[in-house]
Amino acid sequence: MLPAFAYVRARSVGQAVTQLAAKGTRVHAGGTDLLGCMRDGVMAADRLVSLGAVDELRGISATSDGGLRLGAMATIAEIASNATVKERYAALAQAAAVVASPQLRNQGTLGGNLCQRPRCWYFRGEYHCARKGGDTCYAIAGDNRFHAIFGGSGCYVVHPSDTAPALIALGASARVQGPQGTRTVPLDAFYVGPEKDATRETVVAPGEIVTEVLLPPPAAGSKSGYRKVRARGSWDFALAGAAIALVIESGKVKTARVVLSGVAPIPWRVPAAEAALAGQKLEARTITRAAAAAVANAEEMDQNGYKVALARGVVQSVLEVLA
Amino acid sequence: MQPGDTYYWEGPLPETDQSDTTPAPWKDTRVVGKPIVRVDAYDRVSGSATYPSDVTLPDMLHVAVLTCPHAHALVTRLDIAKAEGMPGVRVVLKDGLPGTDIPWFGDRSGKFASRLFDPHCRYEGEEVAAVAADTIYQAWDAVRAIAVEYDVRPNVVDVDDALKPGAPAVRDGGNVISAPKPYERGDIAAGFASADVVVEHTLHTPCELQNAIEPHGCVAKWDGPRLTVWESTQGVYGVQGDLARWLKIPLANVRVIGHYVGGGFGAKLSSGKYAAIAALIARKTGRPARLFLTREQICRSMGNRPANTITLKAGAKKDGTLVALQSKVAGSGGAYSEGGTGSADFVIRELYACPNVRCENQSAYINAGPERPFRAPGHPQGAWALEIVMDALAAKLGMDPIALRLKNISTVSQVRGGIPYTSTGLAQCLTEGAKAFGWTDARAKRPAGAVVRGVGVAAGMWQAGAGGPPATVIVKLFSDGSAHLNMGASDIGCGTKTWGAQIVAEELNVPIERISIEHADTATTQFATPSGGSKTVPTESPAIRAAAIEVKEQLLKMAADHLQVPAADLEFRDGEVISSKDATKRVAVGRIPAFGRRGLIVGVGYRAPNPQGKAINPFAAQFAEVEVDTRTGEVRVLRFLAAHDSGRILNPLTFRNQVFGGVTMGIGFGLTEERVMDRGQLGKVLTANLHDYKMPTALDVPADKAVVIVDPQDTECNTTGAKGVGEPATIPTAPAIANAVYHATGLRLLDAPMSPARVLAALSARTAPKGQKGRA
Repeated sequence: MLPAFAYVRARSVGQAVTQLAAKGTRVHAGGTDLLGCMRDGVMAADRLVSLGAVDELRGISATSDGGLRLGAMATIAEIASNATVKERYAALAQAAAVVASPQLRNQGTLGGNLCQRPRCWYFRGEYHCARKGGDTCYAIAGDNRFHAIFGGSGCYVVHPSDTAPALIALGASARVQGPQGTRTVPLDAFYVGPEKDATRETVVAPGEIVTEVLLPPPAAGSKSGYRKVRARGSWDFALAGAAIALVIESGKVKTARVVLSGVAPIPWRVPAAEAALAGQKLEARTITRAAAAAVANAEEMDQNGYKVALARGVVQSVLEVLA
Repeated sequence: MQPGDTYYWEGPLPETDQSDTTPAPWKDTRVVGKPIVRVDAYDRVSGSATYPSDVTLPDMLHVAVLTCPHAHALVTRLDIAKAEGMPGVRVVLKDGLPGTDIPWFGDRSGKFASRLFDPHCRYEGEEVAAVAADTIYQAWDAVRAIAVEYDVRPNVVDVDDALKPGAPAVRDGGNVISAPKPYERGDIAAGFASADVVVEHTLHTPCELQNAIEPHGCVAKWDGPRLTVWESTQGVYGVQGDLARWLKIPLANVRVIGHYVGGGFGAKLSSGKYAAIAALIARKTGRPARLFLTREQICRSMGNRPANTITLKAGAKKDGTLVALQSKVAGSGGAYSEGGTGSADFVIRELYACPNVRCENQSAYINAGPERPFRAPGHPQGAWALEIVMDALAAKLGMDPIALRLKNISTVSQVRGGIPYTSTGLAQCLTEGAKAFGWTDARAKRPAGAVVRGVGVAAGMWQAGAGGPPATVIVKLFSDGSAHLNMGASDIGCGTKTWGAQIVAEELNVPIERISIEHADTATTQFATPSGGSKTVPTESPAIRAAAIEVKEQLLKMAADHLQVPAADLEFRDGEVISSKDATKRVAVGRIPAFGRRGLIVGVGYRAPNPQGKAINPFAAQFAEVEVDTRTGEVRVLRFLAAHDSGRILNPLTFRNQVFGGVTMGIGFGLTEERVMDRGQLGKVLTANLHDYKMPTALDVPADKAVVIVDPQDTECNTTGAKGVGEPATIPTAPAIANAVYHATGLRLLDAPMSPARVLAALSARTAPKGQKGRA
């Protein structure tokens, strides 16, 4: 059962930022994970600031540069079904469509999806692990079948978001507002690996909130896609996934962005795979090489070695669809 | 309780009185066998049905339970002072307080290993204390305020680890449970010596959690010395007996009501500590108390299907004739159950004709929650081994897997000394199922590419499913021609009330809408065994039929006296008794003078014993078509067909739903579900929620699924000709999928669930030696 807490509803972003300044306060967007975490003691809060009534955080609209603005409170379902997203940012639409379950997509928000905490069963369980400020990652000697093959450093969680890798592949940025004002952070630089700080996942500081995500206009010849493999057909996080955005010019890949989900503590961009694609025709040989390059530096744990083949397989299957 | 102890019996059965006459088998039926919509469908769908967890009473207290967070620990200090003083808190219950000295976890010799709040906690989730408060939030706040100190002991949560010398001792006597004498038939060595081909595999099956949608729990209320409990249970009489024993009060003073239950799957065949706690708190406070466990508590303590390691060796002649089967099963029923391997070898001993069989079992204690029966205890595990090995045998022999099975059909029960079955539809399930599935064509199709397809088959049978005494049912006919069915059995979602009403409607010619039903209440209905073991239909249906016939006979006799015609010429329909010879000889039910004076006709029906010298079992064969993505290891079930011999089908609508439910569970067993423990570290359950414990979703079950009903017209098993289906439906599902995966990929997957991780590992193992790493 939920412990007692206070609940306030902000009317504007500015008011939310002010309300968030008090100690022990957390922001409440869709609440699909926050409330469960409070019930389970994964995180505590004396007070929640609801963004539910902050209209300026909602909506999906065109920007003056021809790109798209996604409000942080846009629901995952709205993003998955938005005609512009589907047409011009396919990887994002595909990623949003495979988040969780229909009920959770209706309630969950983009901001929440980007800022959600990892699903590691040690972090979520009654373990005082490195991500909770302890000195051990229990996955190292424990059951690590779902853990990281990249970027683990004292903590081997995998980042749970599907929309984040798609947005990174599409070159999106997040707007973050706090007591010091507003800043724009490319999503590529939004996430914090455990080598820097294992107790947080993003650069968003306490008291700050993500207000919107900005997508640049897609270049001519852009194509993108997302594929996720999970342990069951719905309501599950990625065992591994791949978001890939390509710009094709004269039959060849001009630029490529390859970002993996479910394999590292943060959405995992693989420049080696991007380099293997750049300047090449998207044919079988290139696809095989790029897929192999995507996992070249993987570091297996006892039980997650399958993720190497899996990540290679999802990269390959996304590229085959885009070819 | 051991699985199997309370919901089906081998050997002599307790008997009740029986009717003087045995009714002839039904021929043409008007209501029985028709797809009648559930009598409580509207209540269930609209939410107006009151499940036990919906019960709210004035002044009701809410109870929360503090459980041990360690896999193995001693409570060395428990301070409840702060919790007792918190707002809304009415009582904190803990070890040593009056009434709590209830022995728990008895073994077969009658000794108890633990008590209600035993300070020695042998698995994560054992009960330490309980708080009752005005609201559930207050109760949980107080639970969090209880200060506990634990002496944490080393733990062992895996059977292999537990059997090793020097393993942490779960119980004072160590972890090894003395193995029962092996089952032996024929001469196993001679059998293998005569075999032309031999296949041997070691297979693993996962520990599964029942995870019914409604949590385990109850509401308890006292009126003076009398206790009433609304419990989510498969059998109210079992709960009544438990509570009377725990509280040392007469059975007559315990009323248990279980009109609805949101799933049980075996885990609710018996009650639990929650009921004792709720009853003690309600007695102490004089207020009703509600205690439903959390999902996490259920995952840790309310039962499981034990994981098994099965080594199975099979030998056959060139023509496919089985000559030898040898199995060794290891498993654990947790910290308190001596089982862990129960019934896992039943299908190995019994499904196919085989003269030489040897089966051994080895169990051990581990620091995990005790097993509880789980839909066909042991059988899905045994079928996983047997049916995969049969598929491998067929491949080695170059035989069609169905032809191999048909070669080895048995018409007698080999484990019961060779007595014949009253009926076996196994061969028909295989042949009619194969025809409806399009087996031959589908088997020949082998598309190439990264995504491959295949089809597979598996067969199964269920140890019980015969039903039997005792069952006592009352049917009443009112003077306006409406009727009442009164039975103790629970309707655990399988449609018990619906087919019960159909039988009454069939015999009395009363419309279903004019039949009311009272059931699952120890104060108002007769004794019934819990609904489990796939025996509710074959146990209760003959008793219902007998009661209805007794009513009809009384009515027709009264009408015959009044109309001055022989009773044999009379029929009862649409509220009238009419002579079949002379339509002018008729009387409305309400105008029969004798009936008018009596006001009510009561018929009592009893379940007669099963036939001597005969075995009664349901059989099945199931067929799967799958798609395997060789890049990602994903297995998708494209279509599924289940062919079942469950005797006469009383209601094909609820029957099909029950089969689909069993198949869905089997898909979970084969592809997604697994309890994971933190082996080698803290020993905690890592999958104590519905995200980490992966039950299949709607997207894991194919839309294209079908049921083939094989009715062998069994006139011997009982007076309705019906056998059980609940458990058979889930027995062959997973190996049918595994065999389809083999057909698709050539990979023999031996461990369930067949997750992408396992499929990819098998693919890598195949490609790696050839140096083809990196190939598609």
